[in-house]
Amino acid sequence: MALLEVRDLRVQFETPEGVVQAVNGIDFQVESGETLAIVGESGAGKSQLVMAIMGLLAENGSASGEADFKGRDLMKMPPKELNKIRGCEIAMIFQDPMTSLNPFLTIEKQMTEVVMHHQGLRKQEARAHAVEMLRAVRIPDPEERVKQYPHEYSGGMRQRVMIAMGLLCEPDLLIADEPSTALDVTVQAQITQLVGELRDKSNMSVILITHDMAVVAEVCDRIIVMYAGEMVETGTVDDIFYRPRHPYTQGLLASVPRLDRLSDDELHAIPGNPPNLLDLPSGCRFRDRCSMAREVCFGVPPLQVQENGCMSRCFIDMNNGEFLPAESKGVEENAGEDSK
Amino acid sequence: MNQEGILRHSATRLLGLIPTLLVLITIAFFLIRMAPGGPFDSEKVLPPEIRANLDAKYHLDEPLMQQYFRYLGQIITLDFGPSFQYKDWTVNELIARGFPVSLTVGGLAMLLAFLVGTSIGITAALRQNTAMDYSIMGVAMLGISIPNFVVAPLLILVLAVYQGWLPAGGWDWSIQRMILPVVTLALPVIAYIARLTRGSMIEVLHSNYIRTARAKGLPGHLVIRRHALKPALLPVISFMGPATAGLITGSVVIERIYSIPGLGSYFVQGALNRDYTLVMGVVIFYGVIIILLNFIVDLLYAWMNPKIRYDEVQ
Amino acid sequence: MTIALPIRILLASSFLLLAACGDSGSDFSRPRETRNQPVELVLLEDGRPHPAVLAEEQLVRRGNGEEPQTLDPHLAEGVPSTHILRDLFEGLTTESPDGDVIPGAAARWNISRDARTYTFYLRRDSRWSNGDPLIAEDFVYGLRRSANPETASNSAVMLLPIQNAREVLAGELPAEELGISLLDEFTLQITLTGPTPYFLGMLTHPATYPVNRRNVEEFGDQFSRPGKLVSNGAFVLKSWKPRVSIELEKNPLFREADQTLIERVVYLPIEELSTEVTQFRSGGLDWTNEVPNNQFKWLQRYYPDELIISPWMGSYFFGFNLATEPFVENPELRQALILAIDRQVITEKVTQFGEQPSFALVPRGIDGYVPFSPEYADWTQEQRNEEARRLYELAGYSSDEPLRVEIRYNSSENHKKIALAIASMWKQVLGVNASLVNEEFRVFLQNRAQKAITQVFRAGWISDYNDPYSFLEIFRTGRRRTKLSSRNCGCDAILDEVGTERVRARRERLMFEAERVLLSDFVIIPIYTYVTKRLVDQHLRGWQNNVMDHHLTRYMFMLKTREPEAEVPAAKVEPEPELVPEPELVPEPEPQQGVNDVPSSEISDDEDMDVDGTSGEIQAEVEAEQATRTRKEGKGL
Repeated sequence: MALLEVRDLRVQFETPEGVVQAVNGIDFQVESGETLAIVGESGAGKSQLVMAIMGLLAENGSASGEADFKGRDLMKMPPKELNKIRGCEIAMIFQDPMTSLNPFLTIEKQMTEVVMHHQGLRKQEARAHAVEMLRAVRIPDPEERVKQYPHEYSGGMRQRVMIAMGLLCEPDLLIADEPSTALDVTVQAQITQLVGELRDKSNMSVILITHDMAVVAEVCDRIIVMYAGEMVETGTVDDIFYRPRHPYTQGLLASVPRLDRLSDDELHAIPGNPPNLLDLPSGCRFRDRCSMAREVCFGVPPLQVQENGCMSRCFIDMNNGEFLPAESKGVEENAGEDSK
Repeated sequence: MNQEGILRHSATRLLGLIPTLLVLITIAFFLIRMAPGGPFDSEKVLPPEIRANLDAKYHLDEPLMQQYFRYLGQIITLDFGPSFQYKDWTVNELIARGFPVSLTVGGLAMLLAFLVGTSIGITAALRQNTAMDYSIMGVAMLGISIPNFVVAPLLILVLAVYQGWLPAGGWDWSIQRMILPVVTLALPVIAYIARLTRGSMIEVLHSNYIRTARAKGLPGHLVIRRHALKPALLPVISFMGPATAGLITGSVVIERIYSIPGLGSYFVQGALNRDYTLVMGVVIFYGVIIILLNFIVDLLYAWMNPKIRYDEVQ
Repeated sequence: MTIALPIRILLASSFLLLAACGDSGSDFSRPRETRNQPVELVLLEDGRPHPAVLAEEQLVRRGNGEEPQTLDPHLAEGVPSTHILRDLFEGLTTESPDGDVIPGAAARWNISRDARTYTFYLRRDSRWSNGDPLIAEDFVYGLRRSANPETASNSAVMLLPIQNAREVLAGELPAEELGISLLDEFTLQITLTGPTPYFLGMLTHPATYPVNRRNVEEFGDQFSRPGKLVSNGAFVLKSWKPRVSIELEKNPLFREADQTLIERVVYLPIEELSTEVTQFRSGGLDWTNEVPNNQFKWLQRYYPDELIISPWMGSYFFGFNLATEPFVENPELRQALILAIDRQVITEKVTQFGEQPSFALVPRGIDGYVPFSPEYADWTQEQRNEEARRLYELAGYSSDEPLRVEIRYNSSENHKKIALAIASMWKQVLGVNASLVNEEFRVFLQNRAQKAITQVFRAGWISDYNDPYSFLEIFRTGRRRTKLSSRNCGCDAILDEVGTERVRARRERLMFEAERVLLSDFVIIPIYTYVTKRLVDQHLRGWQNNVMDHHLTRYMFMLKTREPEAEVPAAKVEPEPELVPEPELVPEPEPQQGVNDVPSSEISDDEDMDVDGTSGEIQAEVEAEQATRTRKEGKGL
């Protein structure tokens, strides 16, 4: 049984302008010890997907679907139960380390409260544990620095603290929501590598959310590509990187600077912007930006599933790159549904 | 945190008080002298002989600059001189009697306003956009917009005259006599603090570090108490500096309606009667109080907000 | 629905507010408190109340306006101080409940033929509250201290009739030169600069009180503090908490301590008039200093027995600044403006407090003086308006060229309402464009005194002593007391004569003439004469209305509260006034009864005044005065 199994997860927000469908029926699994990357542009619904799982949506948001963690549905769990899992069995690291730590409390206070609350450690023990964890994330002089306030730390250091804090209870699943985005480029790599190292030591599962394909390649096992609230492609790192099926995935990869490319002019951005979630186009959501779009793309694209678990939501056949015959659409989609 | 740094910082700030006070004294001295009329003018004009005696007794016959320097010399010894109007008392005595009353009433009102205001502000924030939130804030709006001189007579009428539960006014340091003035004084402040707290609490609840705290699996009350309360109260703390100064220096309206011997009426009476020494004494005293309170609030603010503390000491 | 909630609360509250603020009409405003009724007053044969009807606790709580400025009698100014000082001290003369001047510390006195020398014979058994005997030297010391420039008393005005007082105050003569001399331990002679018929009344003023020399010398300027002050009146100072209360206790050493019933008086300084009323209503006060104008009708309806209104010795008027245009030479215009005001409307609709509309300067009822009444006082307002229009045109104004004028007053709701009424009456009757200017009190006084920008100004005069001269004197040229008048209206000479005339009837005629001259020059716009208005608990008796508004606590007493069941069968006896022969309560009849060792008001033939019948005439006057004052007005007792 998978550690986390998410089925038909939908998230919507009520805004003054109307209902926003941020996540529109996502299914995926995370196996023990596996690192899953969720990639996509800003606004693709990556963060809201994991927020919904963690029960951290804003007040105007609501989620439906199932998220079975070790066989128990997090989505239907009463807050008290959920609180026993959050921070303990599932830890989360957020996008913006500058604001994610409470500026009014010392690092010590913020770290020790996790273990004191979840594991009932006494203050001294909790403190020793916190120091040890800080050392593990390579904070120099952790005995002293643990007494400091967040503003006395640099951004990268703060993210290390966040990671240390997440790992205090030795969680089974770490959700890292764009942990390096807000940091200096040099620090970005260090943070990602740190997450990878720590995962290797502890055999925990990781969901890494990022829009940075370069990061993914280094640490991840499997990748989910999201676009406008939908999963457009999934597969192993090798599949995605070397055999991207979906035009959007191809576009994403093309926009990543790579050493094996010859020159800058091969680096290109995907034209246009993601669609307005309030007013989604019918049919394929990527259609307007897709260089290969055809008449057929005005219909709802099928989710094609391969034996090895790779999937693609496109009219282009995963296997041969040809456009699917029109009549096969429904069949393939049904097949996709059945496979779960 | 650097203890010595904070001490040094405090000392510098307190020393900076002296030139501020000197400017205050000078402006107040000449302003009140510039006001038309004098302390001994009344409907019945005094015969010149008597007027001359009075002027001589209070040194009003001297050139203005000489009076100014005489006054400066006098207040260096912390002697504010005799009151022109309340002839049997010195200004020092009047302040010494009036201020404890104003301090008590204002201090209790501030305490009440802080406790009640923050409680209902937080309650409203946690139930944002519910009927409860709207009704609390509606009442708070009312509290701000109804002036004291309307609330006070209503309270007196109902609680003192009709029900006879509380005395209608007067002062003897008993709790019963403090209740009405304290509540009246606190009401608009409660309303203001409630609105302030609600606003800042909602903002804090949307902040990333509260999300982090919730992600840690902390129960809701702990998230509020440990993580949200302090930052949510910071705007309230900075509001409390001037507000406390306003409350403990005495409210003329409250003092008149409840017949309380606070400092506020001395100030107004002193100004209207051109009681130069009384006005000056109260102005200087107010000045010191307000500067000190702002200083205390700054310290409190720094104590609560580690970032400020850090920056200031650097 | 959720948004509607606060609005509903708002609406509900505002209705509540409106209902609570409305002062009449709605039942909501009816007082809900029930007031206890006192038992019927039963008097003993000697006129004193029967001990059985007296309340156990003889305590009076008197609202007293603003915080008194001082309890040093010689520095006292302002009404609040003097109320208390009249209880603490006693001058050579004092006042009866109805305001008549009667013997005080002096048992009797002689007035010399030329009415310039008064000889006072002190009671021999009087003592200070510290036990010291009260002797003539105390009065000499007191008067000298009061006049001493170092004391800087601003009520030393009261001493000016005394010989050399002006020079002493000016520092030109030492205090010892003041016209007082000590004849023996209990006899004192005061020499005046001229006849001053109201001098005996002035001796009831605190500026003339004795002070205990030992006391003053021991404590200096702190001698008036509680625990230190030594006094000779019916009460002694027990405590003084500024702006909280001043508490007096019965003085067991007072000469009439056995007749003083009140054991304790608490004076409460309450600045806010409506606060006084609420305190009275909630049972915290027995006597208010005043009541707010805007609650008059309501109080009249619901507190008819407690609301006491009585004429007061003050005039409310407006003045013309004769030093600036358009009033310099324009009697027609001034008269037109005086006529075009409907005083009835002002007192009945604007001030609403039973003030007496007036066309004269001196209020009625002062010492038996009948003020001058111009012929238009008897006209109807229509006639006055017609005449006003005629005079207005005569003065050269018309609807095309209307008069533009400023009415200046010091900021106060009442002054504003009256000025507004006057302006609109002038507009309506004459077409005058009057604008209102209000100024803070001291600014107003300064502008009024400077006579540069003021045109029509508010004024008022409340007399210090019971004599019409007090009102006339303010219009004397060169008299700096008010700076109201800027030119000789022709009455200076008459006033000089008044100053020296000692025959009462002639003096009154002269004052009448002075007032006539003054009013015929149209220098002021009389509006009304003041009234005092206050709430008095029905348990509190023994006091009477008087034009001076002086109410000594020592005449008062508290009745017991009627017990509901016990009193029902008891037949309602008679209306109270008949039950109350109040003169017996006061020491007035003493001279006839010979209670004191020496008859008081007797004018004995003395070395100064045995020459002709003048002394007889004066004595007759004194007796006549006393007779006229046995009028019983108001509902005291």
